[in-house]
Amino acid sequence: MNMLSIIFIVAGLFFMIVAAIGVIRLPDVFSRSHAASLADSLGAFLMLVGIALHEGLGINMLKILVVLALLYILNPVIAHATIRAALRSGLKPWQKETS
Amino acid sequence: MKTFLFCVVVLLVILIGAFLYRVLQGPTIFDRLLGHNGISTKAIILLIVIGISFERVDMFIDISIGYALLNLVGALAVAKYLEQKGASIE
Amino acid sequence: MALFVFWIMLSASFEWTHLGLGLIFSFAAAWLNSGHSPFVPKFRLWLRILLYLPWLFYKIIQSSLNLSKLILHPALPIAPHMISVESKLRHHAAVVLLGNSITLTPGTITAEVDRNNLIVHAMDKSDEIVIKQMESKIADIFKDEEPDL
Repeated sequence: MNMLSIIFIVAGLFFMIVAAIGVIRLPDVFSRSHAASLADSLGAFLMLVGIALHEGLGINMLKILVVLALLYILNPVIAHATIRAALRSGLKPWQKETS
Repeated sequence: MKTFLFCVVVLLVILIGAFLYRVLQGPTIFDRLLGHNGISTKAIILLIVIGISFERVDMFIDISIGYALLNLVGALAVAKYLEQKGASIE
Repeated sequence: MALFVFWIMLSASFEWTHLGLGLIFSFAAAWLNSGHSPFVPKFRLWLRILLYLPWLFYKIIQSSLNLSKLILHPALPIAPHMISVESKLRHHAAVVLLGNSITLTPGTITAEVDRNNLIVHAMDKSDEIVIKQMESKIADIFKDEEPDL
């Protein structure tokens, strides 16, 4: 049980590190939001599942799952609002230079 | 387990620093908003990990639920405002 | 009623004062919000959505491995472009579920929704197939509801 939760938490940390690298490296808002959603969906999911396994059955595990469901409902809403605001204010997506 | 949790906390703080770089450096205002959203997601997870490390999970989870809801309201309000106003700032 | 169960789950204590306060507050919230939302949840629909979730997780894992490979590649071989998706879904809830799933999957993000046309910003060429599969799955979920869009 303990080993399994450590494996889950390390996998979640790996995806979060990849997302942070992507947020620094990628060229514009639209692609950066992809990297941020990587951290939100998979990284948070793996880390919270690992923490819930470490906590064991009980009311705390249920609450951690509530936090997870809340993140899964709210994060796409915020990402969509940000991207729609960026698109409506006339920002053009980055294209690869055709040389 | 204690040292492992400490390492997790330190790594999360370093990742928050990476997102903070995007907030401070971002070319447009939407980059800053995106960075703020990422920071708050990581802060929620950081709160739960700190709670496990202090063995007071029941208290810290309530705080993190409230933090997630507040983050939704704040980010949505800023996004709606920017949508009407346009990105004339910077 | 569901709110009362939620209150018990959050407060995690079974004393009389907590239970009474939870009962009062949950009925007050339900009474204040009745008449706002026309969306009445149906049990079979929720069961199908619950069965849809593991497939969505599988797709999320697949496409996020793909996206991490793209990010960690030293030459950064990304090709972002916009796709315009004209969906055949005829329900508000179905369109909401489709947009939410698209945004949740790393590599695609919903940029604009207008009734049932979606504009999607995608990271790679192979993401359109995933959106098509997702749409057919959701149309399968909502197949015996009356259309309201």
